[in-house]
Amino acid sequence: MNDVQGPILEAVDLHKTYRMGAVNVPVLRGSSISVSSGEWVAILGSSGSGKSTLLHLLGGLDTPDPGQGDIRFDGRPIANLRRGDRNRYRNQDVGFVFQFYHLLPELTVLENTLLPGLVGSRIRADRDRARQLLGSFGLDHRLNHRPRELSGGERQRVAIARALLNRPKILLADEPTGNLDQETGQEILDLLKKEHESGLTILMVTHDRQIADLADRTVILNRGQVE
Amino acid sequence: MYHILLTSRYLTSRIIPLLAIAAVALCVALVIVVVSVMTGFLDMVRDSGRTLMGDVVISYPVNGIPWYEDLIKEIEALPDAEAAAPMVETIGVLRMPYPRGSAKEPKMVQIWGVDGERLAKVTTYEDTLMWSKIPEQAKPYVELDRIYQPVIESFDRAQRIAVLRASAWENTDGMSDAQIADLAGAITDPEWIEHVRYVLINSPEIFRDGLAPEQIELMQVALAAEEDMPPLQDQVLGEGVTLSRNGQAGIVAGIHVSDANRRDSEGEYQIGGGGHWWLPRYEGALTTIPVDATGGTLEPETEILPFVNEFSSGVYAVDEIRVMIPLEVAQRMMHLDQAEIVDEMDPTKVVGIEPARATMILVKGKDGISEIDLRSSVEKAYDSFLDSVSTAHPNGPIPPIPGINPSLQILTWEQQNAGFIGPVEKERALMRTLFSIVYVVCAALVLAIFWAIVYEKTRDIGILRSIGASRPGIVWIFLLYGLVVGVIGAVFGLGLGWLITVNVNGIHDVLAEPPAWLGWGLASVTTLTLIWTIIKLFTGRILPVVLGIMGTGILGLFTALVFILDAQGGVVIWDPAVYYFSEVPNTIDLPEALITMAGAVIFSLIGAAIPAARAADVDPVKALRYE
Repeated sequence: MNDVQGPILEAVDLHKTYRMGAVNVPVLRGSSISVSSGEWVAILGSSGSGKSTLLHLLGGLDTPDPGQGDIRFDGRPIANLRRGDRNRYRNQDVGFVFQFYHLLPELTVLENTLLPGLVGSRIRADRDRARQLLGSFGLDHRLNHRPRELSGGERQRVAIARALLNRPKILLADEPTGNLDQETGQEILDLLKKEHESGLTILMVTHDRQIADLADRTVILNRGQVE
Repeated sequence: MYHILLTSRYLTSRIIPLLAIAAVALCVALVIVVVSVMTGFLDMVRDSGRTLMGDVVISYPVNGIPWYEDLIKEIEALPDAEAAAPMVETIGVLRMPYPRGSAKEPKMVQIWGVDGERLAKVTTYEDTLMWSKIPEQAKPYVELDRIYQPVIESFDRAQRIAVLRASAWENTDGMSDAQIADLAGAITDPEWIEHVRYVLINSPEIFRDGLAPEQIELMQVALAAEEDMPPLQDQVLGEGVTLSRNGQAGIVAGIHVSDANRRDSEGEYQIGGGGHWWLPRYEGALTTIPVDATGGTLEPETEILPFVNEFSSGVYAVDEIRVMIPLEVAQRMMHLDQAEIVDEMDPTKVVGIEPARATMILVKGKDGISEIDLRSSVEKAYDSFLDSVSTAHPNGPIPPIPGINPSLQILTWEQQNAGFIGPVEKERALMRTLFSIVYVVCAALVLAIFWAIVYEKTRDIGILRSIGASRPGIVWIFLLYGLVVGVIGAVFGLGLGWLITVNVNGIHDVLAEPPAWLGWGLASVTTLTLIWTIIKLFTGRILPVVLGIMGTGILGLFTALVFILDAQGGVVIWDPAVYYFSEVPNTIDLPEALITMAGAVIFSLIGAAIPAARAADVDPVKALRYE
């Protein structure tokens, strides 16, 4: 496949505990993972195994329990970034794709795709990139449609285009086909595969072993620990 | 950048923000209408206060200022002053011409003895005069007055007694001739005419004996003239400014001095008795109590003067109590006129002159001179008047001296009328304060609506955070949203407020007299809504039915209200009989409106700030967890 280089994203001994009422619920208990540049890694785990939480920590949406473990992106520690740097990390370095697409209903396909560019305050150059991405995903004719007018597969393709707009070094996908039928899901996986072949690093969370098999490497997460 | 995009999309694709805008607009319109009407009211009160006062007033009540013409010369020489007019102010009792019969109603009045022409230079007195020609209602009566005047003037005492005995209106049975003669002297000329006409038409035989041939001729002329009444010329009554008729001094009374004058809901004056009680047909007996130099009272003075006109200053408190008479008459009645001082031993020997006095001097400033500046100029003029008066009139009385005679006052019209303008100003301030609560309502509404929007948009906030939007960025979206809602609401509020204020008299008229189309129009819309609701009843959905029932109910209520109003003859909120002014003030107070708008925007921002802060605190992980 791709030329696999040094790790782009590396997590060591991550812990995450949520507080639910009076009880502390440990979700991650010393998980470690490493993704090399150009690699497609699947995290396979059952519901409640902590795989989404792991992805959120790696994507800078959440912070691990303090004092333990470390996350490094391109050799740079990101677990305890300052707020501004953390926002920039989410905006520039990673791209998120969610199971439920998470598009903004008031914005058109093009505007949704452009959103990371607008948040990063770069508009002009991005517009061409957005058109080009949507075009390569077969959505030329959908640019000015609202998400509710699209099928699930189309919506997820818009979400992937949005995630890729700022040319992130890694795509974090949380059950990207979990809400789609088999056939549409396969289309999305084909699309991811194509992007991977042209150099995109992907870290994908799934509970489906068949889907995980498409990745270069599979990591199994069970009860908050990597097996 | 994304803030503007999201704000504009949130604004245009949802109904809730339109509710927020409507709420802000209504609040702003409400305050603008209330403050504008109150400001207009205050301006009208101020204007009319000034109308009959001039800019600066020198007053020394009761005793009056001697040598006042010297003072006026001094004032009129001032570069600041346009003109000055002397005046004698006092109180008195006016015997009104009503009711019919000998027992007439007395009325307490404030008497202004003025030189009408000079007063007109200082105030807008001339414009306040009510009758420039004889009103239509009064014309037939004026006509009869003119026809019968020669007849009744020709009657002697015995004939008058015979007429009163023959007319059925006064209970003359058992009265002596002397009593009837007294009665005859007490009733008004127009009443005399009614008695004469009554007798002439019903029992003319009593005139047969003892009438002189020329009297018979007069009566025949009168009867003939009444049958074929010549059209009355639109006689112009230039008698208000001169305060006289045919060279004889007269009274100009405030329009509400006579209880016969009533202002209807249109603001038009209706004269009592269908024109019968038009005041300029009558005479009034004015009585005052003069005061001597020691402050004691003298014998009352009474003058019988014709009413020559009426005036309407627009201020009820003035129009119900003030009567104008010529300055010389007032001076005579108050013993403030010029008199000779005679030797105590030999009353034929004149030893000096007691000068005429005025209790007030009204001063008008040149255009652009403030009352305050004019007042200090007038104060200086008064001082130099004091300096010169002792050399000009070495043996005469000394005018009052500021500081020594505390009742001498030199005040601006605003200070003079403070007791009158003050309450209205306070009222406006109270209204403004009370209605400022509307801002809090505004903020609360925006808060509640934005709270709901943030709740609804939690997932969007999570998405935005996941792609790198900062917390201040999220705050800014909702603040910008609040700003836009506030600004658009304020602008619509200004428009709505302007529309209501400008048309406030029209709206008031509709309330006073709901037009037929309004009732029937509302009734048909209600019916259509009801039909729509019944149709929706079969679709099985509840919301349209609930909306339909509510709509029908509200529209039905309005319809009923309009019909009830119509049946009861409408509601007159701004009753001209109560509010002094026939029109509701209808100009927008623009500076106040701008302050109101700014307030609405600020309070919208305050209302938006709390939900915005909450939005920033949304945990993106929780927001994104579920669909």
